[in-house]
Amino acid sequence: MSEAKIHVIGGTRVPDSSSEQRLVEIRQEAERRGEVRAIGIRPSGAPFPKASPETGYYGLPLLKQPPWTWKIPLYFFAGGAAGAAAVMGAIADYAGADRKLVRDARWIAAAGAVISPALLIADLGRPARFLNMLRVFKPQSPMSVGVWTLLGFSGAAAATAFAGFMGERYGPSLPLRVIENAGQAASLVFGLPFSNYTGVLIGATAIPVWNQNVGDLPIHFAASGLGAAVGLLEMMGNDKSRALQALGLGAALFECWEGLRIEGRGHSHFDPLKHGPSGWMTRAGGVLSGPVAFVLRAASLFGGNKHSSALRRWAGISALAGSLVTRIAWVQAGHVSARNWREPLQIPVEDQAELLGGS
Amino acid sequence: MSVTAFLTDSTLCIGCKACEVACKEWNGVTGDGLDWSGFSYDNTGSIGASTWRHVKFVEHAPEPGFGGNAPEMNSWSFSSDVCKHCENAGCLEACPTGSIVRTEFGGVYVQPDVCNGCGYCVVSCPFGVVERNEDDGRAFKCTFCYDRQKAGLIPACAKACPTESIQFGEIDTLRGKAEARLEELRRRGMRDATLYDPLDTSVGGTHAMFIVRGDPRSYNLPPKPEVPTIYLKKGWASSAVAAAVLLGGTLLAFLADGGRNGRRNGR
Amino acid sequence: MPGLGTSFGRGGATTAQQDLANADAILIMGSSMAENHPVGFQWVVAARERGAKIIHVDPRFTRTSAMADIWVPLRAGSDIIFLGGLIHYVLEHGKEFREYVVNYTNAPTILRDDFRDTEDLDGLFSGWDADKRKYSPETWLYEGAPSKETGGEKPGHSDVGGGHGKDRGGEAEDAGKFEADPSLEHPRCVFQVLKRHFSRYTPEMVERYCGVPKEVFLKTAEAFTSASGPEKTGAICYAVGWTQHSNGVQIIRSAAILQLLLGNIGRPGGGILALRGHASIQGSTDIPTLYDILPGYLPMPSFESDSHKLKDYIKKHKARTGLWANFDKYFISLLKAYYGEAASAENEFGFKWLPRVTGDHSHFGYWLEMADGKMEGLFVMGQNPAVGAPNGRLQRKALAKLKWLVVRDMVETETASFWYDSPEVERGELAPQTIGTEVFLFPAAGTAEKEGTFTNTQRLLQYRKKAVEPPGDARSETWFMYHLGRRLKEKAKKDARPRNAGLNALTWNYSTEGQHAEPKVEEVLQEINGYSLRDHKLLENYKSLKNDGSTSCGAWIYSGVFPQPGENKANKREPQGYLGHGWGFAWPNDCRIIYNRASARPDGKPWSERKKLVWWDEEKKQWTGLDTPDFEKTMPPDAKEDIRRGQGVEALGGAKPFILHPDGVGWIYVASGLKDGPLPTHYEPLESPISNPLYPKQQTDPAADKKERPDNPYAASPGDSRFPYVLTTYRLTEHHTAGGMSRTLSHLAELQPELFTEVSPELAADAGLEHGEWATIITPRGIVEARVMITRRMRSLWVDGRRVHHVGLPYHWGYRGLVKGDVVNDLLAISEEPNVRIMESKALVCNIVPGRRAAGKGALRQLFFGTTRAGGTRTSLESKSVESK
Ligand SMILES: Nc1nc2c(c(=O)[nH]1)N[C@H]1C(S)=C(S)[C@@H](COP(=O)(O)OP(=O)(O)OC[C@H]3O[C@@H](n4cnc5c(=O)[nH]c(N)nc54)[C@H](O)[C@@H]3O)O[C@H]1N2
Ligand SMILES: Nc1nc2c(c(=O)[nH]1)N[C@H]1C(S)=C(S)[C@@H](COP(=O)(O)OP(=O)(O)OC[C@H]3O[C@@H](n4cnc5c(=O)[nH]c(N)nc54)[C@H](O)[C@@H]3O)O[C@H]1N2
Ligand code: SF4
Ligand code: SF4
Ligand code: SF4
Ligand code: SF4
Ligand code: SF4
Ligand SMILES: [Mo]
Repeated sequence: MSEAKIHVIGGTRVPDSSSEQRLVEIRQEAERRGEVRAIGIRPSGAPFPKASPETGYYGLPLLKQPPWTWKIPLYFFAGGAAGAAAVMGAIADYAGADRKLVRDARWIAAAGAVISPALLIADLGRPARFLNMLRVFKPQSPMSVGVWTLLGFSGAAAATAFAGFMGERYGPSLPLRVIENAGQAASLVFGLPFSNYTGVLIGATAIPVWNQNVGDLPIHFAASGLGAAVGLLEMMGNDKSRALQALGLGAALFECWEGLRIEGRGHSHFDPLKHGPSGWMTRAGGVLSGPVAFVLRAASLFGGNKHSSALRRWAGISALAGSLVTRIAWVQAGHVSARNWREPLQIPVEDQAELLGGS
Repeated sequence: MSVTAFLTDSTLCIGCKACEVACKEWNGVTGDGLDWSGFSYDNTGSIGASTWRHVKFVEHAPEPGFGGNAPEMNSWSFSSDVCKHCENAGCLEACPTGSIVRTEFGGVYVQPDVCNGCGYCVVSCPFGVVERNEDDGRAFKCTFCYDRQKAGLIPACAKACPTESIQFGEIDTLRGKAEARLEELRRRGMRDATLYDPLDTSVGGTHAMFIVRGDPRSYNLPPKPEVPTIYLKKGWASSAVAAAVLLGGTLLAFLADGGRNGRRNGR
Repeated sequence: MPGLGTSFGRGGATTAQQDLANADAILIMGSSMAENHPVGFQWVVAARERGAKIIHVDPRFTRTSAMADIWVPLRAGSDIIFLGGLIHYVLEHGKEFREYVVNYTNAPTILRDDFRDTEDLDGLFSGWDADKRKYSPETWLYEGAPSKETGGEKPGHSDVGGGHGKDRGGEAEDAGKFEADPSLEHPRCVFQVLKRHFSRYTPEMVERYCGVPKEVFLKTAEAFTSASGPEKTGAICYAVGWTQHSNGVQIIRSAAILQLLLGNIGRPGGGILALRGHASIQGSTDIPTLYDILPGYLPMPSFESDSHKLKDYIKKHKARTGLWANFDKYFISLLKAYYGEAASAENEFGFKWLPRVTGDHSHFGYWLEMADGKMEGLFVMGQNPAVGAPNGRLQRKALAKLKWLVVRDMVETETASFWYDSPEVERGELAPQTIGTEVFLFPAAGTAEKEGTFTNTQRLLQYRKKAVEPPGDARSETWFMYHLGRRLKEKAKKDARPRNAGLNALTWNYSTEGQHAEPKVEEVLQEINGYSLRDHKLLENYKSLKNDGSTSCGAWIYSGVFPQPGENKANKREPQGYLGHGWGFAWPNDCRIIYNRASARPDGKPWSERKKLVWWDEEKKQWTGLDTPDFEKTMPPDAKEDIRRGQGVEALGGAKPFILHPDGVGWIYVASGLKDGPLPTHYEPLESPISNPLYPKQQTDPAADKKERPDNPYAASPGDSRFPYVLTTYRLTEHHTAGGMSRTLSHLAELQPELFTEVSPELAADAGLEHGEWATIITPRGIVEARVMITRRMRSLWVDGRRVHHVGLPYHWGYRGLVKGDVVNDLLAISEEPNVRIMESKALVCNIVPGRRAAGKGALRQLFFGTTRAGGTRTSLESKSVESK
């Protein structure tokens, strides 16, 4: 405790009338508690702001909150789904899976290839200067790595989908094949990091809730993206694919584990993921993409042909929604974490109620 | 070209905010808003896009017979904060456009004509310094008065400071001065004086050092700032694992499933 | 500044800010120097770094306290008790610098036997005329001086004028006849009178009535008084925390006494630094904007007294001994500067054309006449009285009685806009439709947009060139005044009435330059410097002035600033030495620490090596040193004094440093020149929660003028139960005075965007205030609302068995600008300190209640009928504390 001592010089200064005693108490109370609780002073409403090792600098945030709008979580969502879809499309193609699945996956990837950069660019403070990103390649900047990945992915996914479409429409030709195959290979290569690099992007920042989870975030985001991609494919009618079912189950299982991991950790870094609006959102996202999706899928295994499709579609919708909510929740948690001056100042929370009371 | 730095000594600062205003005037920084905070005499709150130098007011209970300079008491200290110009700067490493560069003076400089406002530096600064200006879209912070230093002038804030609380000079000389000053203050009985220069963290020291009295946390100076690049290894490793699992899992799923489902499903 | 003027001879800071670095202790009291003089404060910091003790005595813990070693909170308005306590401490413990006191002060001088002290007469000095409400000061004179009965000149200032006068005390002819006792033992010598006078100012007394714990007081007293003697010096800095009291001049006098006793005047690291306000406020008393003095502290002739003839006027003001023996030279040279050729010995150099003072024409004097509808028009240039002047409601309503109002400013100030957006308009007291005042708003050029000098706080003239052209129609003051004068003269030329004779005779022949015909400012400075009329050569300094009309000089004290064509010393920028000679020009004679002869022993050697400044060079047979000697350069230290018969400075001999005084010494006791007594004595502020502990029958300074009237009412004093708290007003670094120059700029306005009131947690609990919420502050004159800042920097003090809570209010806000707020000066009363006629802004009483004030007419209702409320006193706190347990 850094309680400042009241220096009463010579000790003779405090006349011992009761009101005088009360005044001394008031002063001490003001110093200790940071507010005065007396009649006429609203106990909760009269913050007596303090700068101290216990309060930081008047409880003002040390870190800056992310300046991003809703577009960025949406970008995380779209990118994750598109990346995973591209990977699935390619593998499914190589494995000789159903053409529709391959085609749908390519379309999802292509759609992501268009939407993702649009979202990213729109969120720039100076969108016209997007190309400045391409001045340099900086391996130590996940944003730079990500932009180049995005570029590669977008080009590849779009080319693949385009060539596939042309081939189907006007008949196959060699150049189209080449483009399609090369594009597919490239979108596999780029899709893998693209589906999860955003985990590194936010993980390697100064925001505690993000950087403390940097080891899990990419996997978490990959699983989330996979769940979303599977869900989308199923909703597009691929609800009989056992491979998709298996992947969906896998993703949901991982998300269950991720939820348990977060809930199980006691460290205050995790508070924004557990308390307040961002906490509830994280939970909602986790439940939708984890347990709900898992249970629906499990049920679909035993649901017989009639119900199975519907259940899988619902599982897909749940995973999809879960993935979106999860991205929003993580960004929101970043905001809350940035506002929490205690974390970067390494000030332990004394009073849990106080923390729950507000951010 | 010598490598320069600031040493801001709060035991000399009178809280006049001349540095804050001089910075805004020299750099044409926009207004910060006209809100009263109730936080002592500080109404601009923190460093940000519209305040590049910022004077903090750390208030305690004074006692008669002890001025703020009394060794026993640290009653009201003022500390002028600024971008730390980190040796390993989170903002610089993170910037995807190369807008943020290190100058020949050792400062960390945002080139306003290159920045595209991606905002990634904002979340990458462990000191919460750089910020996107919402009107303009770009990120702004202290330039270390690159323009003035180029012209052989000292930064506007240091120039305006009447009490030499902001000292500017060659970094090694200043580090030496800081040590000597600290010793001097301790000798005078101010045993709570500390030098804030996070040399032993991943930030690797800064070009803006601070002498403060009491716990640096009262001044929103983090005890252990880290440059976020230290998280990269773990992050990319996780990313690789994720990619591998995704690749493997997908392969496994589709190979195991063979073509059967597809055929059944197909036209 | 008659506090310093009467004590030492000149109404200016005795030292330079740079010299503070040499002090061993610095007492800052009545000022928040770090906040209001931040640049000068660097030398206080420098002194501190060299080991000097910095003491700040202030009701609040300010940014200055934060830099001090010792902070002493005291009850606002109790300064003389505190300083008297220090004087008592010095005398009691024999801490005075004996050799200095005996040789360089009037401590040995013996007073008349009919002098009676306030200690004898229950708070009045002898000579009080209860009907006229003023002193006749004969009995204050030295033994041997003529009394009324024996006839002779009446010493002192004119009765009618304010108090600036010559700023140096009266006593002209009579100086030589006094008796002295160098052993300081004579019961009627100043030293003994002083001892008796301050005998009651004990540490216990200080504790009881200033609210300063005895231990803190003793610590402070020891710290400051030990900075004395040959090896050590201490300095005192003050500003309006002292002056703006109903006995402000006497507070400064207390400081002067203390410094004379400690031997701290005229020595390096010593002195009294009057920290002056506006950029050139020193300049505006040197070349005054005041109604009762002429440039160089020459008194304005007064209509009632016998100053109708030049001869009588000069006789009254010219001294036989000391520098003022040259009074006629300075005065006639000034008349020559005014009237040129037209001034000749035959027509008394145009003396009859000078206006005469007919009454109190100070700001408050004429403003009240304005409120009574006796004035037609007003020029307001570089002032914003609608916000800056006390009793704002009265000030603004008075403006509405004018026929015309000219405001020259850089922004449209509250004064210029009173007729449509003042609170009086909102409250229905004034209506734009019915106000007859025609307002002319002229755009003024700002400091960087014009050329000229500033005279700063340490009497230093600094010249600066124009940096940019003023925008649009904005013009400099020089331009405006020159062309206004020119046009008036043109009109007067066509009208031969006698009243115009002076205007017609006035020289007004400045040459101009540029497309706007801007007068050449350097030419004006040359006119101020003065020149010989025979050969039109610029004067080297004031010693060349003549009384025969052969020299012309606009302000004798500035003479030497422009000694040769092309040598504008105010524009010099090559500082050398620690006092910065070569940068600007300090009056008089580029002397940075005045009375510096006192830095040497009577025999001319420095008191010590460490504290040497000016000394006698045996070889060169002249005074020399680190500063320009403020002394006859070649008068040796052993030159005999001959005050009884001699003439001028020579009569003072070689060992009397205070050459403006007829006896050449510093005045611990001011026999004449002040309206409220020869010695400072404690009176309570005009509004106070307690009764005067020293003189129960004499609550306030008897000579102070309350100007009490229905529109300028006062709380009952002592102890008006409706207004239980002490109110004090002050500045913030972030703003400038009435705010026209800071509330209008976003980079400054944002730093302190709202009016707030600083209160202690104790007062907050007592009055039910919440941090960040609103409070309403009420006095008999006005009502304002402010945000509450509860801070432990404010102290509730234990005074005479009860708590005294302070309410602190910075006064920078008004109803215009980027950030607006209530005008704090609406709370203040118009009052006049007897000598300089300043208001009491630092100590009054108020009430503070939670919540915002009513809007519109409601505010007036609240002011007149709602000033009381249930609870809020100390007793209620007691009951509250019981409840809250
Ligand atoms: N930044 C800034 N600087 C300024 C100005 C400005 O407006 N802003 N104004 C300039 C002008 S015009 C002037 S005149 C000077 C004034 O300079 P200061 O005199 O320093 O100004 P204030 O803040 O009005 O008052 C000084 C202190 O007096 C204290 N005080 C109040 N009552 C008493 C009392 O009874 N006894 C004692 N001992 N202290 C008391 C107040 O708490 C306050 O801290 O500043 C000049 N400098
Ligand atoms: N309650 C309370 N009241 C106080 C005081 C206090 O301590 N407490 N202090 C008092 C003191 S010390 C002072 S000095 C007064 C100050 O009170 P004012 O002098 O009335 O206030 P300022 O705001 O300084 O007014 C100066 C005006 O001049 C304008 N100006 C600046 N430069 C120029 C120029 O070159 N030419 C022209 N024509 N105009 C110019 C500015 O824009 C500004 O509007 O307030 C006094 N009032
Ligand atoms: S303090 Fe922040 S903005 Fe400044 S250099 Fe370091 S990381 Fe960059
Ligand atoms: S906002 Fe500008 S400076 Fe910051 S990282 Fe992005 S491009 Fe670089
Ligand atoms: S170095 Fe320049 S940009 Fe940085 S704070 Fe100082 S004045 Fe502002
Ligand atoms: S200018 Fe210097 S003294 Fe003033 S607030 Fe800034 S650092 Fe402190
Ligand atoms: S504003 Fe001018 S006069 Fe005032 S402190 Fe600053 S430099 Fe000095
Ligand atoms: Mo002033």
